[in-house]
Amino acid sequence: MLTYTLQRVALALAIVFVAISALFTIMVTLPGDPTTVLLGPRATPEIRAEFRLQMGLDNPIYVQLADFWGRVLAGDLGTDYYRNRPVAVAVFSALPHTTALVFGAIFWSASLGIVLGAFSADNRNSLLDRVTGVLSVAFIAAPSFVVALYALLLFSVTLRWFPTIGAGEPGDIGSRLYHLILPSLAIGLAWVGYVARIVRASMLETLSESYIRTARAFGLPRRVVIYNYALRVAILPAVQVLGVGIGGMLSAAVFAEIVFSRPGIGSLIYDSVSGRNYPVVMGSMLVAIGFFVTCALIADLINAALDPRHRTKS
Amino acid sequence: MTDHRLSRLFPTLDRRQLLAGAVGLSAASALPITAWAQGTTLNVRSYLEPEDYDPLDASGFLEEMLYGCIYRKLIQYVPGDEWAWQNDLAETIKQSSPTTITFTLKPGQMWSDGYGEITAEDVKFSMERHMVEENNSRIKPDLGPFTHVEVTDSHSGIIHMERPFAPIWSIALPYLAGTILCKRATEEAGGKITTAVPPTVSGPYRVSEHRLGERWVLERNPDYSGAAPDFDRVDIIAIVDESAAEIAKEAGDVDFTAIGPGSVQRLQENPPANSQLTLHPALSYTWVGLNLNNPKFEDIRVRQAIMHAIDVPSIMQAAYFDVAEPSTGIIAPGLIGHREKTLIPQQADFARARALLDEAGIDRLAIKIDVLNNVTATTSAQVMQAMMTNAGIDLEISVHESGSFWSLGVAADGERWRDLELTFKRFSMTPDPYYATAWFVTNQIGDWNWEQFSNEEFDRLHEEALSETDNEKRDAMYRRMQDLMEESGAYRFITHEVTANLYADTITPATRPDGLPMVQFFRRA
Repeated sequence: MLTYTLQRVALALAIVFVAISALFTIMVTLPGDPTTVLLGPRATPEIRAEFRLQMGLDNPIYVQLADFWGRVLAGDLGTDYYRNRPVAVAVFSALPHTTALVFGAIFWSASLGIVLGAFSADNRNSLLDRVTGVLSVAFIAAPSFVVALYALLLFSVTLRWFPTIGAGEPGDIGSRLYHLILPSLAIGLAWVGYVARIVRASMLETLSESYIRTARAFGLPRRVVIYNYALRVAILPAVQVLGVGIGGMLSAAVFAEIVFSRPGIGSLIYDSVSGRNYPVVMGSMLVAIGFFVTCALIADLINAALDPRHRTKS
Repeated sequence: MTDHRLSRLFPTLDRRQLLAGAVGLSAASALPITAWAQGTTLNVRSYLEPEDYDPLDASGFLEEMLYGCIYRKLIQYVPGDEWAWQNDLAETIKQSSPTTITFTLKPGQMWSDGYGEITAEDVKFSMERHMVEENNSRIKPDLGPFTHVEVTDSHSGIIHMERPFAPIWSIALPYLAGTILCKRATEEAGGKITTAVPPTVSGPYRVSEHRLGERWVLERNPDYSGAAPDFDRVDIIAIVDESAAEIAKEAGDVDFTAIGPGSVQRLQENPPANSQLTLHPALSYTWVGLNLNNPKFEDIRVRQAIMHAIDVPSIMQAAYFDVAEPSTGIIAPGLIGHREKTLIPQQADFARARALLDEAGIDRLAIKIDVLNNVTATTSAQVMQAMMTNAGIDLEISVHESGSFWSLGVAADGERWRDLELTFKRFSMTPDPYYATAWFVTNQIGDWNWEQFSNEEFDRLHEEALSETDNEKRDAMYRRMQDLMEESGAYRFITHEVTANLYADTITPATRPDGLPMVQFFRRA
């Protein structure tokens, strides 16, 4: 297990390095002069020149990239020159909001998806199974921003159950959770369909295993066999999918954060890319990719711990 | 004026209270959230986050909206339908000579948090710091030929300029550059206000909290020297997406927001409950520009053909939903220099355009337009594309995201600026015509003059108009400058747009004539 863990950690670090280096290169070669975009029309040529110097924009790309990694290794994500603050302040004040959003989405997708999937498998080929199947595909097909807008119209404008904007009052967990319900549901709903389909397929496979037959032969109640024995194994693929799916949820978080006007890494990246605010883009991307890779790594390690065959295959 | 107070049910959260929370959430299904609303908070939408508290870093109206709440100026704009200014800190202020302005401060106007009385030294410090090179003030150009403030006593002073500068009354003093900071507090902060909240303020509100990426929370300034504001708390909430802002208003989470032109007709026909919708002519200007140095457009007949083939009323109908009016130039109605009509009629004349192309020996003309990736710009371009074929012009549309688009004509960003053909652009504007013409002078080529328009008379008039204090002469100068622009064949003026505001009928908003909010003057209805 230790060797497997070390291999996975090394791979994760390599992924972060390659992804960030590629993104950095793409970012600085995109058309769009940051001094023009960031400083606006009234900035004088002297201010623009000073700004270019501060951002190191006149250096070759490889020098800028080396400088970036040098700073990161020294624990410095750089400075947001536009807003006169360390990038780390911007990124780490946004990260908890995005983390909460993504884990909220995982909560919805896992809780609803597993229940739907297990229910479908337990009632294979029934009318309810077919309805669940249609619903699952509908959830998968609906884009997050459409779900977000309709959720807003229904639950906020018409029913007035939930707020439309913001992340809630700082230091007040109740308010935070209350403001998290709709945006996390908007992101998580698409994954409910995926998880339900995967759990259903995996469950049907598991139910045909001999140890399940043995359990039944011992006279254990049907519900105990299904939900205590079969489901524990059947949810393993869903865990892996959700681990990888965090990348997709992070992408969807951009829309959710904009539509629900929440602070977060997604909206920070969106604003910074539009404004060519390189230090903030790279700092945010580093944390977002690090977050994604870490979650995928944890999912891998959980799978390996639960199912030794994974370690052997690797 | 709503505030979700469900959170009060959960002061802390242990396992038992988590269960209570679940019950509370279930109960929410039966109770409308507005049941908890209370009327002391004003929620105003801003489309982005203001930068910070220091005017050195200010770049536009977003900062002005915040600064108006927490700082004061010698003079301020008067809310209403006509551009005018009123005294704020100044008890008296007048143009004492073409290059000097004499002012006296009202006595007893205080800084908050024990920073004492506002003095002429604060005025001198606040204005002169923009002129210091090392401070890198982004709004230094707004002060024009301003040189210094001479302090004559603790409450009086004289503003000096190198030469007469008409926009000092319309842009410099009542806008960002006229914001007065506390000298002592700013020096204690190291010369720039970069703290989490400003150490001292002078306006009706003070900053209680800045939630990064979300909102600025303001509360009453107990040390404010004027009449107490109506609201205990003002939240300036950053909502990027217009549709989201509209939904937030309908749900009662926002009390005041601007909305897009696409929603105006629907909201006029079906007004939301307890809401008001107002329309204001905006100052911004939108136009189709043509790069004069592109070899394709060397022949003036080709340029004129393109201008005649653009049907402005159709663009108004399709992209602006007939809410905005076609413009006659870059200077909006109500401002000095506004033209009554264009040289080329706003309706397209395809026969004339075709004839001009025939004269130039061109059978079919293939051209490209670069536009920003927003619905208004792309729809306008599509309308042009569809209609220009009537004149034998094939228009290719190239859509850019904002970072790429706004540096298309900038020489510092490579060679793209040389090959530009047509661009569809929108510039924001302040209430002085100088701010409109400043981008089209020769030395702006390679920066913001993407048409690469260069005209000696235009450049000379721009300089002369800055120092001209006779409004009638100034008016004629700016009208002539717009004639020169149009005669070049490089400009087809589209619209000044419209500002549509949707607000709760529980408040009485205060706006400038262009519809932008002056939150410091908002009142409860």
